[in-house]
Amino acid sequence: MSGTPERSTRDAEEQHATNRGTPYAPHTDVEVDAMLESIGAGDIDALFDIPDSVQFDGELAISGASEQAVIRRLTETLAQNADDTEFLGRGHYSHYVPSIVDHLSFRSEFITSYTQYQPEITQGFLQALFEYQSLLVELTGLEVANCSMYDAATALGEAATLAARVRGTSGSRVLVPDYVRAERRAVLENYVTGVGLVVEEFPTEDGVTTPEAVGRVLDDDVVMVYVESPTTEGIIEEHLAEIGDLVAERDALFCLGSDPVALALLRSPASLGVDIVTGDASVLGLSASYGMGLGLFACREEYLRQVPGRLIGASEDADGNRAFTLTLQTREQHIRRERATSNICTNQAWIALRAAIHAASLGPSGLVSLAKRCHALAERTAARLDEIDGVSAPVHDRYHFREFAARTDGDARAIGAAMRDDGFAVHVLDGETIQICVTDVNEHRVDEFVRSLEEATH
Amino acid sequence: MTFTTSDGLLYAESHEWVDDRADVVRIGITDFAQDELGDIVFVELPAEGVALERGEPFAVVESIKAVSDIYAPVSGTVTAVNETVSDRPELVNEHPFERGWLIELETTDELGHLLEPDEYREQI
Amino acid sequence: MQRHTQAVWDDTESDGYEPLLSEKGLETAEVGETGLPDELTRDSLELPALSEPELARHYTRLSQMNYGIDSGPYPLGSCTMKYNPKFTEEIAGLSAASVHPDRDAESVQGTLEIYHELQGYLAEIGGMDAVSLQPPAGSAGEFAGILVAKAYHEANGEGDERTEVIVPTSAHGTNFASAALAGYDVVELPDDADGRVDLNALSAAVGDSTAALMLTNPNTLGLFERNIEEIAAMIHEAGGLLYYDGANLNALLGRARPGDMGFDIMHYNVHKTFATPHGGGGPGAGPIGVNEDLAPFLPTPQVREEDGAYELFEPARSVGKVHGAMGNWLVLLKAHAYISRLGGAGLRDASAKAVLNANYLASQIDLEIPFGPFHHEFVASAGEQDAADFAKRMLDYGVHPPTTKWPEIVSEALMTEPTEAESKKTLEQVADAFDAVRGDAESSDSSSPERIAAGRIDQTSAARTPRLSWQRIHEE
Repeated sequence: MSGTPERSTRDAEEQHATNRGTPYAPHTDVEVDAMLESIGAGDIDALFDIPDSVQFDGELAISGASEQAVIRRLTETLAQNADDTEFLGRGHYSHYVPSIVDHLSFRSEFITSYTQYQPEITQGFLQALFEYQSLLVELTGLEVANCSMYDAATALGEAATLAARVRGTSGSRVLVPDYVRAERRAVLENYVTGVGLVVEEFPTEDGVTTPEAVGRVLDDDVVMVYVESPTTEGIIEEHLAEIGDLVAERDALFCLGSDPVALALLRSPASLGVDIVTGDASVLGLSASYGMGLGLFACREEYLRQVPGRLIGASEDADGNRAFTLTLQTREQHIRRERATSNICTNQAWIALRAAIHAASLGPSGLVSLAKRCHALAERTAARLDEIDGVSAPVHDRYHFREFAARTDGDARAIGAAMRDDGFAVHVLDGETIQICVTDVNEHRVDEFVRSLEEATH
Repeated sequence: MTFTTSDGLLYAESHEWVDDRADVVRIGITDFAQDELGDIVFVELPAEGVALERGEPFAVVESIKAVSDIYAPVSGTVTAVNETVSDRPELVNEHPFERGWLIELETTDELGHLLEPDEYREQI
Repeated sequence: MQRHTQAVWDDTESDGYEPLLSEKGLETAEVGETGLPDELTRDSLELPALSEPELARHYTRLSQMNYGIDSGPYPLGSCTMKYNPKFTEEIAGLSAASVHPDRDAESVQGTLEIYHELQGYLAEIGGMDAVSLQPPAGSAGEFAGILVAKAYHEANGEGDERTEVIVPTSAHGTNFASAALAGYDVVELPDDADGRVDLNALSAAVGDSTAALMLTNPNTLGLFERNIEEIAAMIHEAGGLLYYDGANLNALLGRARPGDMGFDIMHYNVHKTFATPHGGGGPGAGPIGVNEDLAPFLPTPQVREEDGAYELFEPARSVGKVHGAMGNWLVLLKAHAYISRLGGAGLRDASAKAVLNANYLASQIDLEIPFGPFHHEFVASAGEQDAADFAKRMLDYGVHPPTTKWPEIVSEALMTEPTEAESKKTLEQVADAFDAVRGDAESSDSSSPERIAAGRIDQTSAARTPRLSWQRIHEE
């Protein structure tokens, strides 16, 4: 840790600091003395009721520094990251976030508030979250959306536990396709620990889920079937309606992983028999952010009492005006404790606010054109890569969204490394497959990307 | 605070009432119980035909601030549920002994363990 | 005496305040030609369409009908609503801070260095041997920590018999829910007459089936569990593990460390203790720390340093994952910035001032505070008044109210945590608000609040007739 605090005559911290104290407490020495006198304590130490045997008598080995020094040091540290152009997706996406999103979401009344336990004084955030829920209701066609889970993986986990509660069973199965990311599946496995569900994988055919493959593993002990569209490999599923029927016949729940940009183009999940939609809603409002995410969760109204997380509802205030409030809180941990629908308390509300502002800024036409572009870019880029000798793309002759896999005659790992030297990051899936994600954020570099791949291949 | 009790009924210590004056027994929660819960917003009732053991939770009553299980005061088979309170849970607050009833049971169970109205009044 | 009047935008046409986005302009976009089969696509999409100036005004008005730490004091007990330094946002906003989670380790050394350093900072602060930054919030940390405990018992061949997690009555609801999510039966532990762990009850509860005891220290009444070493010994002798809920760590920074008290596992709420903004309910972050015996069970991946290079690795017996990537990275980055700004001495001072503030505020208000000595927060009783009504009346006095009606061990509880960020003068204003509301007959009716954007909101009809989207409102 770099170290000594920088001296500056204008440093407010120095005026307040006593013995390098926190710069974010306003006390002067005189005030501290007066306060102690009112309390009737000799010094601050006397206020602590901690046995000597467990007191920490050293000083924490962490050095402090001025604001300027901390910013400089962390900026320099982050600058060690290679400034690569990312052609990466597989469940984590970036789209251009308009400037207005930062400016409005960073208003301190929003970002420095907390959960709306006192709704009268936090109407603004409540309404923004209500609008976010409504956006998801429109995109999914499902009647209920909560105002966030942590990320796509935990939302999937929560969907499975909801399915177990709805079906009133344990020890049953959740079916997932073979393309699901290992990370997502690992989270799902942990979430179903307590209800004793088993996660079972079924094979896909040429990149898509088929009714036959689902039918082969489906039985009465299945509580939920999960598929993604677009899939982790960027493929748009083609048989969802038939799968929805199959799943419904078995009285299981049908869960679809998707995202708000894809849903602006794709057929409404509710009309396909989907019961729950999960996914990452931070494709709006947030850059990749090392996978931070915003868990999307929407479902049919019949499961309302089983929904995890927070819900905002409209009501009326004493003046008869429409007003918003957290509602149906008896589902939640602070009231129902071990019988709650979820343990979630703090969620991703501020990211939901950002996603809502971003969506409103695009409007329906902007959202639809962004989605159409994500489809067209993937198809066009795949076609261009296919022209390279030694590359065939896409691997699956399917419809793609944002991304696609490509097969390389040469060693894909070496190709990935060579491209990294050119400043391009791609997924290397195995010795002969790479995956490429193209959005509005990196499309201006597609020409160079294609050249780099061409050189790396030869 | 005084609570109403209904004289023709029997009571369980867990604040359910039993009306055994017909072929089937009718069951609900007492005035005291609804007041403890506050404004009731949701009632989840069992399906008809379900067999209940005495002491088994058979319904969930939810208010703004709490969720309570309602326990079967006697064993038996559910012959009817009051669908009206599913749509209008406030009836349990407003008329706990009448229109706010919850279920009807066909029972061969003993009723000796239940409290007479004055015994129940003592308890609350 | 300070009064507060919140801005309000009242719209007579919608019978509400600021109209909904959908009331300001819904538009239907036709999807048209896509190059995809029709059966795969939607025909149209109906969403609000507003110009940027209209959007700016909509959200600005909403923000004016919202209250944050920068608006005024926010002594919401158990939530540690301390001031959020602004400079940390500058670092979180750097484009280099936003990398894709699948980047190769060698190309994101800067990110991994900070990540690794924060693991170390938190281990030092908690007296723990190893830290995972993955859990995205406090309760996710609890869940991860209990999964670690479960994996540890399974590795010892005791997975089947250790089926219980003990949780005190006064604990956060998340403790119960997280233990249940991990598949445990929860055993509730009553408090003794002093509001602390009842050792006799604990002795009766602990046994061969105990997997863990979850404790908050200081507890939710602000009281330090003075018998902590004895408690730890009891749990450890029975073969169980001791879990520390870090919600109240702001009372102890640099003064006492959970690891030194005998805790095996803990979570940190960085949005509370380390000043990252609460964001209207999140995102936060809930890293966990463990002792060296439990380090092999931590979530994957962990970050380590080898010869100056940082790499990801999977702990030998990892419980797997509780988040799809690396947790709430941007929140963690801000926490790192805050910790390295204050340093050990600054953190210790933050706790000192937080405890001073709670004690000073308590000395200035005329309500019963049944339990003590408390640290960074106290629980007062509203006495004959209803705590929820008491809180509503406080809204008119420029104070976000305390947490109400909890913990239930105090009747009509007002759980109050001023944090170190309030000045003596502000604390006196908060005390004035308490005093103004105390004995105010009107505070028991629904006329309050009067000077806030909305009047008293009907919770009952919100729950009886759920209206959770603008679609539902427009149908009516």
